[in-house]
Amino acid sequence: MPRTAKGFFTDTSLCIGCKACEVACKQWNQLPADGFAMTGNSYDNTGTLGATTWRHVQFIEQAKANGHGLEQRWLMMSDVCKHCANAACLEACPTGALVRTEYGTVYVQQDICNGCGFCVPACPFGVIDRTPTDGHFEAGTAHKCTLCYDRLKDDMTPACAKSCPTASIQFGDIDELRERARRRLGELQARGESTARLYGMPESTEAQEVGPLHAFFLLLDEPEKYNLPSIPRLPRKTMAERYGWSAFVGVGFALVAAVVFGGRR
Amino acid sequence: MIENQRREGYYDYPVIRRPVWTWEIPAYFWLGGIASGAYLTASLAQRFGSKDDRQYAADGFYLAAAALVPCAPLLTADLGRPERFHHMLRIFKPLSPMNLGAWTLTAFTPLAFARAAARAAETGLLRGPLRVLTRLIPKTLVELTGTLLGLTLAGYTGVLLAATNVPLWARSKLLGGVFMASAMSSGSAAVGLAAARRRAPDATLHRFATIESAAGLGELAILTGYLAQSGKTARPLTAGRLAAPFWVAAVGAGTLLPLLLHRMAGRRQGRPLRILSSAAAMCTIAGSLALRWSIFEAGKISSEDQAASFELSSD
Repeated sequence: MPRTAKGFFTDTSLCIGCKACEVACKQWNQLPADGFAMTGNSYDNTGTLGATTWRHVQFIEQAKANGHGLEQRWLMMSDVCKHCANAACLEACPTGALVRTEYGTVYVQQDICNGCGFCVPACPFGVIDRTPTDGHFEAGTAHKCTLCYDRLKDDMTPACAKSCPTASIQFGDIDELRERARRRLGELQARGESTARLYGMPESTEAQEVGPLHAFFLLLDEPEKYNLPSIPRLPRKTMAERYGWSAFVGVGFALVAAVVFGGRR
Repeated sequence: MIENQRREGYYDYPVIRRPVWTWEIPAYFWLGGIASGAYLTASLAQRFGSKDDRQYAADGFYLAAAALVPCAPLLTADLGRPERFHHMLRIFKPLSPMNLGAWTLTAFTPLAFARAAARAAETGLLRGPLRVLTRLIPKTLVELTGTLLGLTLAGYTGVLLAATNVPLWARSKLLGGVFMASAMSSGSAAVGLAAARRRAPDATLHRFATIESAAGLGELAILTGYLAQSGKTARPLTAGRLAAPFWVAAVGAGTLLPLLLHRMAGRRQGRPLRILSSAAAMCTIAGSLALRWSIFEAGKISSEDQAASFELSSD
């Protein structure tokens, strides 16, 4: 049964870096801990999204001299699977394990995935990953945010959005969220946040190849500052040309070989 | 408003995730390439070659079948869940190079075995009721279909790597062509090597050598294009710990040296010709493995290069 497309609007201007989303996600989805390694860079000791980390809070420290000393700010951002409209992982998947759900989200069917690993480097955002084959959690298959598919089935809000104390993570119908995001951007710009921008809206350059993101963001700086690519690539777009070169070389070889054998038959 | 001291990026964290594939993948690319190249050379010889060409190139059908034997096990071993290997074939989705490759391998393997069996029956290697069965094999049709499937098998592997967001693999348009050329040079080299071992006539050996050298020259040309298009992105391959395997083994010993050896063998006959051709063919075959392996491994390094990822996704 088709439903309205659901998604996340992550407003980074409201994020306080509490990591409640990370914890709620781990708890609800019963994801194991990733160890207790310290990055030594900031309070972000999670580092990246991964097979068992589906929300990741970045702590971006920025400083510049302003005449009196160092002016500092901390940008925080809760990163997540973007649930792209044209998802590279879904297109790469050879088994059909990755599907588009009735909510418009991208979902890995754990009983189908055979752990081929093609989705892993296909994702332009570095989201999806394969669990170790010797691990105790769903070993050897691909994992990423499900947008709490099980909770959506029961008309519940995804765990991260539910736990967010500042409404930095907002869940809802995608059209309504986009409206809300545009209003919020207008407010911030009116207050002088000139570098604020939306990332992943249908009209923005990020959507050129991967389409609008079902989990999109309000950022306070350039996408790269958040480790987000300015134009995320969809491998399909250039595939035909690459097959073409392959075929050119192969057919060229066949022609040369035919000439060398030279009709001696 | 406020500028970070770093121009861009979140610390030096990678933008994409590191490929999880291990050595089985380049080994499969190499063997699948040899199988395709040998099958193609053998089929073309049957269609266009002299009697000797046909007879000695037909060993290529054996080589193709033999090289295909480890392919499916290698691919299965690399899966996170090997017992689900057949899930690759639960749908037909050529949009995914991985799915296309699985289907191609599934279709090509029995064809190569059928053609090898027909060859075995011709030479008297296969006797009894099985030999009668091989008469049912439509050889020309099997050769033609096998040629198309072989070209697909040799051609999709580089495109598969290029259909990711790993900068080293994805930036240039030519990786598919590089792997195709390497498949053709190593496959024709395998045919030439087998023919030299069986003491094929000089004229036939010279023709096999010419075909291998043509593929080698093509490989050099397209590899140059690949490196030029990749630019700075190619650094994990051309500098650092993979520079030696790439430049020395893949390019030097694997491509330039065989061209030189074949040239030296050009006017020779008999034993010196066989020795030089065999040496050249062995270099080509080993070089093909070095090429796949070094590009594969360098891709893993490249996947961690934040700046290269941003460059890839900004134009």
